Parts: sequence; structure tokens; C-alpha cells
Amino acid sequence: MAIIEVNHVTKEFRLGALHSFKQSMFNTLSRLRGESVPNRPLFKALDDVDFKVEEGEVLGIIGHNGAGKSTLLKMLAQISVPTRGNVKVHGKVAPLIEVGAGLVGDLTGRENIFLNAAILGISKAEIKRKFDDIVAFAELEEFIDTPIKRYSSGMQVRLGFSIATSVESDILIVDEVLAVGDLAFQRKCFDRMEDLIKRQGKTVLLVSHNIRQIQRLCNRVIMLNHGRVNKEGAPQAVCDSFYEQSDEKIKASTALAKTRTDTSGEIELLELHLLDHNGQRADRLSYDHDCVVNFKIRVLQSLDEVTFGFGFHTTDFLYLTTHNSEEQLHIRHLPPGEHEVLCKITGLPLLPGVYSLRFGATAGQAARTIFYGENLKHFQVVGDVPITVRDGFFALDAHWAVDDDEAAVIPIISTVQA
Amino acid sequence: MIKTATNLYAYRELMMALAWKNITVRYKQAYLGIAWAVIKPLMLVLIFTLMKSFIGIDSGEIPYPILTFAALMPWIFFQEAASEGVNSVVGNAGLIRKIYFPREIFPLTSVVTKLVELGINFLLLAGLMVYYQMAPTIYLLWVPLIIGYTILVVLSIAMVGAAMNVYYRDVATALPVAFSLLMYASPVIYPLTLVKEKLLVNQAAGEWSNILYTVYTLNPLAGIIDAFQHVVLRGLPPDLSAMWPGMVLTLVLLPISYLIFKRAESHFADVI
Repeated sequence: MAIIEVNHVTKEFRLGALHSFKQSMFNTLSRLRGESVPNRPLFKALDDVDFKVEEGEVLGIIGHNGAGKSTLLKMLAQISVPTRGNVKVHGKVAPLIEVGAGLVGDLTGRENIFLNAAILGISKAEIKRKFDDIVAFAELEEFIDTPIKRYSSGMQVRLGFSIATSVESDILIVDEVLAVGDLAFQRKCFDRMEDLIKRQGKTVLLVSHNIRQIQRLCNRVIMLNHGRVNKEGAPQAVCDSFYEQSDEKIKASTALAKTRTDTSGEIELLELHLLDHNGQRADRLSYDHDCVVNFKIRVLQSLDEVTFGFGFHTTDFLYLTTHNSEEQLHIRHLPPGEHEVLCKITGLPLLPGVYSLRFGATAGQAARTIFYGENLKHFQVVGDVPITVRDGFFALDAHWAVDDDEAAVIPIISTVQA
Repeated sequence: MIKTATNLYAYRELMMALAWKNITVRYKQAYLGIAWAVIKPLMLVLIFTLMKSFIGIDSGEIPYPILTFAALMPWIFFQEAASEGVNSVVGNAGLIRKIYFPREIFPLTSVVTKLVELGINFLLLAGLMVYYQMAPTIYLLWVPLIIGYTILVVLSIAMVGAAMNVYYRDVATALPVAFSLLMYASPVIYPLTLVKEKLLVNQAAGEWSNILYTVYTLNPLAGIIDAFQHVVLRGLPPDLSAMWPGMVLTLVLLPISYLIFKRAESHFADVI
């Protein structure tokens, strides 16, 4: 049986400011007289969202800012009610909607543990039993009798997380909490989450902008877009599609970015395009597939000893790689007129993302620059990338081994780890 | 109604924890601490006693300072619990937006908080009674009932006020003004016997006198304060004739107030 049922949930908010008391009275009066009252426009934070969560499932919810993720969680935690549709939850929900909600600065760590536990619905007897664990987990033994307003923000968050995860419940709702504290503490949080998920078989709803985390922890992912379920299914597929969408957005916003060019006046760049592995012009290339970079130039004055070069850089001008023609293409003389230069790339190693092209040309024995331009063309790399090479810009062809006979190695099983 | 009550019983630990938080936080960094709970009524007693020496209020056989202190105890409890109750939902916006539990916990917690301060004032009252050599009587047993009734009065204001305050913050701003007016309309500075004498015995307003007296006692605080003074100081049972109009009003208002609160509750997190 589904432990959570979200049935065609729509949540609307009115845009603009709340009416003043006077205005409300005025409007009521008008309504009583049968006149129409101008309504503020509606905004759909959630639009006909419909899904079920089975017991023991770990569901990730991803989406851009304002996609409706937090609104959805609020419905599940009963904090807010849907405008239409309904939410059914069969079990006790522990909200982690925000770690540290309800911590009071004037109270000491000890007092806060008891207060926060009461707020989260943990009984006094239970919290007494768990008190030492909570303190130990938060690593706050020394400071437990200090008012928490004197704590660092990291310490406060640690305390909040530690209390919140000690709630015994069937369903855990997690909103961006794993991004707390320093790396060592994040690691502990992650382990605790993993423990709750894998060993205790809790049902977990996880919202995060850390897609990698989602991909590792969840067994199903829902992508929200403008309040609608945009895609739902296996983590890999949904996350990839999310990356692609993000990249599209980046590309759209950087397309207008200015190109920087510098030329000596001897050469002009007429056109620059990319050909994908099918030989079609494209601004979407596939990871690990062949492609071609094609430059069309016009030479204005006769040139000697010409070398071309091009490179890829990120949208924030981190130069990733360059390649020049010096060793492969010795051009002793280039007469005036239009020329086409192309460079073929075998198995594009760039990981999915948005990149840009730069291009340059030098001439003469001294290799003086006659043309240089960057941010010339944006393109997107898409494709299925194994989880082992998710981060960074380049795939690495690497092979793992362990030099220990006693290590139990099960070949090819994706494991969850921080 | 019973379901609500059992539901609330399940949340008693939370209410206690929140009330305890309210009290601790308020007095934690104050040097005088919880003593502030008695300083306020004491100061008022002092001022009223001073005032009385100018305008002359007949307090009967009871010394004026203890009479007015006994009036201030239920009054201050009522006033502070109600205004804290009205502010309780907006004041806990952080919790409202993050965690679900029945929202009436907030006004109820305000009441519990103020009950503690009322309890402290009882110690002072006992001290004053010793000083004025007044012995308690069996009628003291009425006190819990009178306070219980006061709590119902507080809730019928606090719940509707708290809900409205979420939408219109005017409520919290207007409240102190309303309360200071209501204090003069309640027998705090003067005893109810004076009003009774003027209207019922002397018929000071002619044929309107009896109606005016009923209107005056529509204010539940009139009956409450008088009853409190009766059972604690005068050794008499509560004067029900001064209490019934206020009781009727409270019994009508309380369910309405609760319903309004419950209807508004689900939108608190969106609006607050």
C-alpha cells in the first residue's frame, strides 16, 4: 500500500500584497452589493501534481528554484493545505523541513534539545534516553550548557540535525539539510541518512539541489518544473534530463554574452560551426562521440607560416584544452580569399555541460597573433555518463583495483557513499 | 469537542515545554528574574492606593491595597494571557512555517505561561493576607473554578484575535488600547459594590438602572473580579447575579472564536 498519496494537488497563491483591513472591508461591501471585486492574479505553485510513494521508498524531488519543491513538502508535512486535490499520509512524519526550526537562542543546548524534541513530538522519556547520543552526534559535549546564541552557525545546525534525525517516524522529509556543517560533519549526516534509509527501511522524501546526492540516495526521482511533474522515474534518467535542462538555461543566458575578438586586420573570421557525429551542424554534441570544428575565414593579405589553434573553455573562462595545427598542418603560404579550416575530434571527452569555443591564428616566423577570439560559440554536451566520472569536465579512462586479498570485492555494483 | 480535548492532551508535553520556554526566555537575562511577575501588580497597587487618597473610594471593611491587589490578580492574568494569546501565532511564525501541530497550542500555551505568573502572585497575596491578618475561608475552594472560567474568557478573545492577527496586524496594535479602556469598565480600581449600590440600590440612572447594571456585568471580568474578592477576602460565595450575563456571553463567543480559529488555521503558513 502506498504510504503517501498525492492526488492531483494544486496550490494557488495570490500574487501581490495582502489587502489592508480597510480594503478587505471595502471589497466585502462591494461583494454584498453584487459588484465585482478585482481579484489579484493567481499563481500556481503546484499544478495537478499526482504521485504515490511506497513504503521504504526513497524519493528524490528535484527542480529549479521556484519549481514548487518546498511547497510540495509543506503539503506533505501538513503545514499547508492544497487548494485542490488532497494529500494522504499513512504514518508519522518527521519534518526536517528546515533543520533548527524552533531553536531558541537564549536557551542552552541542553534546554533546546528538550524543547525541540517536544516540538518534533518526541516524548520526554524518549529524549532522556537519547540525550547522550544526540549530544555526542552533534559533538557539543563541552558546550551543552551554553546558550546557543553563542554557538557558531555550524554548531547550531549540527544540534538541529542531530535532534531532528533522532525522531522515530515512518516518513522522513528532508529539505536540503545535508549541506550542513563542514565536510566531516556532512559525512556523518550522510552516514546517518544512509542508515535510516538502508538499514531501517524508512520512507524518505529528499529535496536537494545536489543532484549527485539525489542520484545516489534515491531509488526514484521526480523532477518538478513550474509546479508540474516534468519527469519521473529512475534517478539516472531524470537527473540527466535535469542537467540537460539546466545546461539549456545556462546556454540561453550566456548566448548573449559578448565575444571577445582581437584582430590585426589581415584575417577575418566569417563563420564557425560544429558538426556532430552524424555530420550535421549542431550546437549539441554527444559525449564520447566524434565531432568536427569548422572555421570559415577570409584572408585579406597574403600570409606566410600560418598556424591555427582552437580551444574549449567554460562559460566562466576556465581554459580547458587547446589544440593547434602547428605539427599537423604546415601552411607555408595562404593567399587572400576565403578558406575553410576544420579540425576533427575523436570521441569528445568533455562531460555534459555548457562550453564555449575560442580560436586564434598566428603568422610569420615569429608567430605573431593575427587573430584571437574567445567566447565565440556556445555549445552543449549531452549524453549518458557513467556515475564514476560525473564530476568535472573530462572523463578519465581509469581502472580500479585493491591490493588486499581480504577485502570483499563484489564486482560492478554501484554503492552509495559520500 | 472531546476529540479536540484528547488530541490536546496528547500534546501536553509540548505545551509544557513551550510555556517553560516562554518563562525561561523572558527572565533568563533579567537580573530580577521572575520577580517581575509580582512587581507589576505591586506597582499598580501602590499607584491606585495613592490615587485613592485623593479621590476617595469606599473599599468597605477590606483594606484598599489588598482589595485592589485581589482585583489586579485576575485582571492582569486575563489581560496578559489574552494579549499574549493574540500575538502567539504571529510570534511563532518560524514554527508555523516549518512544523505541524494543532495551532491552538499557541494560545493555550500563553494561558499556561500566565498561569505560572498568577501562581507566583498567590504567594504575595498570602503574604498580604498575613499582614492584614485575614484568615482564608472554605470559599477559597472556588478559586480554581473562577480561574477556569477566566481561562475560557481569555481563550474566546485570544483565539479569534490570534487568527485575525495573522491577516491583519491591526488587531495586536489595537488590543492594548481596548484593554486599557476595559480596565476602567471593570471593577479593578473600584469595587463592584460601588456600582451595585449606585445602580441597583440608588437607581441612579432611573428606569435604565437595572439594564445598565446587566450591561456592565456583560463584561465577564466584572463578575470574575468580584467573585475572586468575595471568595478570597470577604469569605463569601461568588455573587452569581453579577456573573451570569458575562457567562452567557462567553458561552456564545467561545465556540464562535474556536471555529473561526480552526477555519483560518490551515492558511496560517501561507499568509503569515
